[in-house]
Amino acid sequence: MPSEIGAPAVDPGRQLVPTIDGMTASEQVSPESAEEVAALLADAVAREAAVVPFGGGSALALGNPPERYDLSLSTVKLGGIIDYEPTDLVLSVGAGARFADVQSVLAEHGQTLPIDPPAAAKATIGGLIATAASGPGRLSAGTLRDLLIGISVAHPSGTVTKAGGMVVKNVTGFDLPRLYHGSLGTLGIIVSANFKVLPLPRTEATLLRASSTLDDALAAADRIRGSRIAPAALEVAWLDGGWLTAVRLAGREGTVQMLTSESNELLGDRVELLDSSASAVWWRDYVDGQAGEERAGEVLLRCAVRPRHAAQLATDLIALLAELDLELRYLAISVGLGTATMRVGLPAAEDETPLHALQERCLRLADHVTILAALAARKQGLDVWGRTPETLDLMRALKSQFDPSRVLNPGRFAGFI
Amino acid sequence: MMNRTELIERLEQITGPGGVFHRPGDLLVYEYDGSVDGAVDTALPAAVALPTTTEQVAAIVRLANESDLPVTARGAGTGLSGGAVAQRGGIIISLTRMDQIIEIDRDDRTALVEPGVINLELSETTLGSGFFFAPDPSSQRACTIGGNVAENSGGPHCLKYGVTTNHVLGLEVVLPDGRVVWTGGRASGGSGFDLTAAMVGSEGMLGIVTKALVRLTPVPEATLVQLADFGDIDSASQATSRIIAARIIPAALEMMDNLTIQAVEPAYHAGYPMDAGAVLLIEIDGLAEDVRSIGEEVAAICRQSGAREVRSATDRAERDLLWKGRKMALAAMGRLAPNYYLHDTVVPRSKLPATLKRVDEISHAFDLPIANVFHAGDGNLHPLMLFDRRRSGDVERVLDASKEILHYCVEVGGALSGEHGIGTEKRDHLTLVYNADDLAAMAGIKNSFDPAGTFNPEKLFPKGYMCGEVRALRAQAVAQKLGIYAI
Repeated sequence: MPSEIGAPAVDPGRQLVPTIDGMTASEQVSPESAEEVAALLADAVAREAAVVPFGGGSALALGNPPERYDLSLSTVKLGGIIDYEPTDLVLSVGAGARFADVQSVLAEHGQTLPIDPPAAAKATIGGLIATAASGPGRLSAGTLRDLLIGISVAHPSGTVTKAGGMVVKNVTGFDLPRLYHGSLGTLGIIVSANFKVLPLPRTEATLLRASSTLDDALAAADRIRGSRIAPAALEVAWLDGGWLTAVRLAGREGTVQMLTSESNELLGDRVELLDSSASAVWWRDYVDGQAGEERAGEVLLRCAVRPRHAAQLATDLIALLAELDLELRYLAISVGLGTATMRVGLPAAEDETPLHALQERCLRLADHVTILAALAARKQGLDVWGRTPETLDLMRALKSQFDPSRVLNPGRFAGFI
Repeated sequence: MMNRTELIERLEQITGPGGVFHRPGDLLVYEYDGSVDGAVDTALPAAVALPTTTEQVAAIVRLANESDLPVTARGAGTGLSGGAVAQRGGIIISLTRMDQIIEIDRDDRTALVEPGVINLELSETTLGSGFFFAPDPSSQRACTIGGNVAENSGGPHCLKYGVTTNHVLGLEVVLPDGRVVWTGGRASGGSGFDLTAAMVGSEGMLGIVTKALVRLTPVPEATLVQLADFGDIDSASQATSRIIAARIIPAALEMMDNLTIQAVEPAYHAGYPMDAGAVLLIEIDGLAEDVRSIGEEVAAICRQSGAREVRSATDRAERDLLWKGRKMALAAMGRLAPNYYLHDTVVPRSKLPATLKRVDEISHAFDLPIANVFHAGDGNLHPLMLFDRRRSGDVERVLDASKEILHYCVEVGGALSGEHGIGTEKRDHLTLVYNADDLAAMAGIKNSFDPAGTFNPEKLFPKGYMCGEVRALRAQAVAQKLGIYAI
């Protein structure tokens, strides 16, 4: 099937020169082709200009403040579907295509990219890959890492390279697509990507069960996890001042109906049932609570432990916030994944002390702690990515192979790469 | 410079007595892997070391560096692209003695294993806890998890469950400089580049896996295997497309053509109709209610597409019998010809009928019988070329025909390999799909991990690409001094 939608019209509301951690670029470009991106990068190397690529601007708060920021490079004109073969369940799409637009096209054919990232309405394909974005649905459907089958990337060397292809199984050469996934645009700028897509579940439903305590909510989730029900998502959350267990079911009509009643029995009383359309809306709003916008007086961060320690992590975090006298505004625990994503109120004084203390204490409780969004002033002197990986030298070697002049997002990624 | 005796002594000091093979007769079995002789060159290592711990692996790597010798990691040697052959000699590190399942965690749904654990053994061990390891290459009775990681192995069930890379959470790796590091881990996320992703499928060229933390998959409540019998390949291909179009992803969807059935049925009596143009083997798993209704839908689709009969098996013995013919297909080929060459290419699923036609034309043009037994669900072809090595010109004809098939598959948007890897078998074809810039990006990974190029040299990149000539000359000089191996 040939390209059905062209590049999306430039949305006047879409920020063209984004502010990153309070810094603004002196130049802004919106290249229209992969070759143009590569030429711009080569030129940036020649001029020693630091480049910050961005898509929908929904995750600009992620990362350490850039060391330098000269050129803002928007992928807005690299949108559009390049190739889509519904019968082959494969899709090739420009990095600047909005996730929501892509999903609409897929839905017309009963297909989907089964991820549920925050800010889905704004996020672009390239940005989602670069930031390794995911949502609660990761429990059942994985991330874009599991769906990526090919990629095109523009490099500071001035070249455009491809890896992988348009088939769902491929071991032709090193797995570059997955290496780029989650690399925050520090190795190259993704210009297009190919995915394996999946059939859209025929229907879905959600059960919400309110709890008066965290323990009660965790126990309810545990009963689901220990059953034959394999939910699409399973979360324990602190939302609007109350505890909640949320079970998302998806599949064939009869199955969802059957599993709804089985879940209902396991959850007990106080259960609210959402039908298919209400379910989709509820999850979108719930995940948008994790959208990475820096807000004054608040930090968004994620802690991760092995799944078996998820309940302990949740309990420990609540105790920690009480001890530090910090307000919990939003908490999403993916029990099967072992992650806790939270928004925490910080004291008004906008310096780095409170966040340092919070990060340091969280690191004692969790294997990984990532600060997803905070004001630049609060990020000073810490690495928002948490612990320095033991393989940092190997990562620096990769960086120096792909971006020896460090023009791409300098300093923003783990270990200030 | 170390002489050969000293090298063997030093290796034995590391591994303990009995941990080093060095006599010519002992080395012979390490000269090749599962690949067909002729498609892949053989090569003799100077020595084979069989370490039992990570520290021993690291010590051997450091010794190899000190001696300026290349290192090739090896599991069961079932690979089909020459990946485990020590192309430039040096030391083979055989990981078969590191075969412990260290931990099975039901809460985390993970297993921590050593690289020498056999694929099927892991699933058999975890079945009792209600889990299995999803990647199931046809060699699963022999191949090792370390090898699966190196080649990013697939198997029939990766249609639904994904390939090895989708099931690896973390790796303990001995790097080319002898350091031991962990990539990934039990907790999701982690900071920095996804080095686990880079390692999986890197064909032993970046590091040696000494522990793997893998995901376990819950055993489905119910499993149904169906055998659909078609008059011709086209209707079977059409049924495949219609099943996928109906939003159904079976656990496995395999096709066998008439020639395969001719080989398999008399040998294993799996119940495949001898006059079928093609059969589809379809496995559906999940909740009992789902399996029942999806099974009915699939059977109906097959009949609408022209299936003469659809047989269903739910109990284990019946299912195993239907699968037996598929799993033993390679072994059965001996009934048709003394030798076979198993090809591995991928095309977009919609291009399957045209590709099979082209394979048939090539079969006629080269006067070479080709049996097709493959993963239809994901377009992963396995043309089996039947020949007789003793007949002069047969090997050349097989190689020429396989090249034609590769070219065609690439032309219609396919890939060089779906699950066997590139190794030495297909390295010179890599330029069919990647240009010099694409290869340079891949070389960037190699140069980051292994700047000296000591791990599994001569693999994946086209001949001479990684400054090969220069290094080959140096290795040759070293070899002559040691008097150990022929290049």
